Amino acid sequence: METIENRITRLQFIIDEWLHPNNYELKEAIDKTVNEGFFSFEDIKHQLLVFKKTLNKRDFLRWAEPLKRKPSSRKEKRVLCLHAGNIPLVGLQDLLAVLISGDHYSGKVSRKDPYLLPTLLKKLEKEGFVEQRDWSTDLNELPNSAADAVLFSGSTDSVDNVFDKLVSMKLVKHQTPALVRTAHFSIAYIEDSNPETMDQLTQAVFRYGGKGCRSVAMVVAPFSLHSKKCSFTDYIEKFLMAVPQNEKAPPSLYQRYAYNKAVGIEQAWLDNFLIEEIETEPKEPFILHWVKGDKKTLTELIGRYKKGLQTVYVQDPSVEIEGVDTELLMDAQQPPVYWQPDGVDIVSWLNNLE
Amino acid sequence: MESIDHINTDFIFDDQIDLQIRAKKVFRYQVQHNPVYKIFSDHFSITEDDDAFNLRDIPLLPIRAFKESKLISADKDADIIFKSSGTGVMDRSHHYVADSMLYKRAILSEFHRYFDLSNTVILAYTPGYNENKFSSLIWMLNLLIKKSMSKLSQFLPLGEPIEDDLLAEIEKSGKDLILFGAAFGLLDLIDFKPVSFGANASIIETGGMKTHRREMKKSELREVLAEGFGVSANYIHSEYGMCELLSQFYAIGSELFSTPHWTHVSVRDPKDSTRICEPGEEGKIGIIDLANIYSCPFILTDDRGVMNENGQFEVLGRWSSSELRGCNFLIDVD
Repeated sequence: METIENRITRLQFIIDEWLHPNNYELKEAIDKTVNEGFFSFEDIKHQLLVFKKTLNKRDFLRWAEPLKRKPSSRKEKRVLCLHAGNIPLVGLQDLLAVLISGDHYSGKVSRKDPYLLPTLLKKLEKEGFVEQRDWSTDLNELPNSAADAVLFSGSTDSVDNVFDKLVSMKLVKHQTPALVRTAHFSIAYIEDSNPETMDQLTQAVFRYGGKGCRSVAMVVAPFSLHSKKCSFTDYIEKFLMAVPQNEKAPPSLYQRYAYNKAVGIEQAWLDNFLIEEIETEPKEPFILHWVKGDKKTLTELIGRYKKGLQTVYVQDPSVEIEGVDTELLMDAQQPPVYWQPDGVDIVSWLNNLE
Repeated sequence: MESIDHINTDFIFDDQIDLQIRAKKVFRYQVQHNPVYKIFSDHFSITEDDDAFNLRDIPLLPIRAFKESKLISADKDADIIFKSSGTGVMDRSHHYVADSMLYKRAILSEFHRYFDLSNTVILAYTPGYNENKFSSLIWMLNLLIKKSMSKLSQFLPLGEPIEDDLLAEIEKSGKDLILFGAAFGLLDLIDFKPVSFGANASIIETGGMKTHRREMKKSELREVLAEGFGVSANYIHSEYGMCELLSQFYAIGSELFSTPHWTHVSVRDPKDSTRICEPGEEGKIGIIDLANIYSCPFILTDDRGVMNENGQFEVLGRWSSSELRGCNFLIDVD
């Protein structure tokens, strides 16, 4: 039986090869992805640079720590991953978690990101990590042998429908354990408006057009939006010049702007993004909720919205928020491979499967 | 633009006047008298002077405006205030009703379309009027109870089965029976004691599908209610109303709601509320309720709905926007 370290070494080798500048398959996939409008080149490039930095043996070994407690009797599990497609390669973490755990990967690649992940999957096939018949962009093409576990993300309202569909397709059984992630936003807590902070905040909010649960959709600051509107929009404009927003906002965003104007909600209109001073839960894309407040305000908001909340970011490790594991704002869009969607470590979850 | 300082609201309930004309008049009044709606509608390309005016083009104000602003004509004071359920101030809608007569007319006109109130006993398994003066539903039920002219009509005590004596008296009176209640309340009543109401009874559920026990599909609820109250499923009706609306919609013996003649319901694309969804396509329910002339008659609700080819609609629950953010899977449909 292969040791964890050996598996990780082999995996690391494939990933390094995949991320190598001379990987023409990946280059071609990037071109197709950009040309067909799925993601911007800048966002893909950012994601790949993050992977180059974060997908390393040391972090893989750290992530694999729970496997040392793996019962010897535990058999390999067939794990079905339904990959999201709102951010380039957002499904990579689930794939890696399954492979590091030594389980059998089966994957539904998103039709909204159909080219990038397959370039890695093909390399993994060659090295025997995955099988060709076990992944597709079409659920109907997956072998209909029921998985032992399923990983996916969705809104709380959609979870039952997704699961029912999988059951009807015989891809899972009613009792199949599912790791479902429903968090849909993160909060940034800032205490000043110096250039470093505002740059980090801008990146945390506007990267990937604000999509994804790690993106900041609510900021708690000791100053009002009104007082920083002009200077903040300068940072945003500079960022958007370098990283144009790939997806345009729907008309509902302008309709929301009209609504805010009518009821007197302070706001900043950025053509395809809206910042508004409001304490309600961020649910819609392309909107940043700005809340003037302190740590107490932050704690109240965390308590109120914890169900949909992914991460609370702070500027400095010395900033402590009682009862909350925070992350650094600068890392919002460059998480380590072992980051925990919805606060659940995927490798541990897989390892604990009966 | 013609100025409207005083308006006689009788035209709202006059079905001899085309709804389009009535809506245009109310739209004009709103733009002149409701500063919130005026600012909102200014951002849309619609003018009441335009010959091509179409009520389908009237901008619909998101319903949360009833939580985040005071919606009442600038020259009016509130006759009654209705509040939605909720705990915090910001969680509750406030409907400032400038003319309670409009509410009465809306309630009675639509009720009479389906039922003969003078020959009906109304039972309401809901909290009583005195405990819930801010509830528009309780206000409506209180009105129906009073107008039924039957001493047997009443708010039923909560947490108890319906007394056999009361049912016997109703039967003896020869009147029809209508039992109103939220879905979960009606299920409680059945749990206390299943009864057989007989041929002249109707049940009207007023929402509350997410029961304290479990969520139930509407079709299942209808079956359980029919069996539990001993009536045919044709007599299980639904009422769709809300604190923010003065008019109600009834689904008679089915899950399909019809509209009163002074209202217009459409299903709107959540990504663009100016686009009306095709029949069969789900979206947010948009309502024009002319009885709301003094608050806001043009409302985009947060309810999920679907329209059929005949202009009837189904209410499918709440529209969730959180699926639009986050790393969602949402089985791809190409």
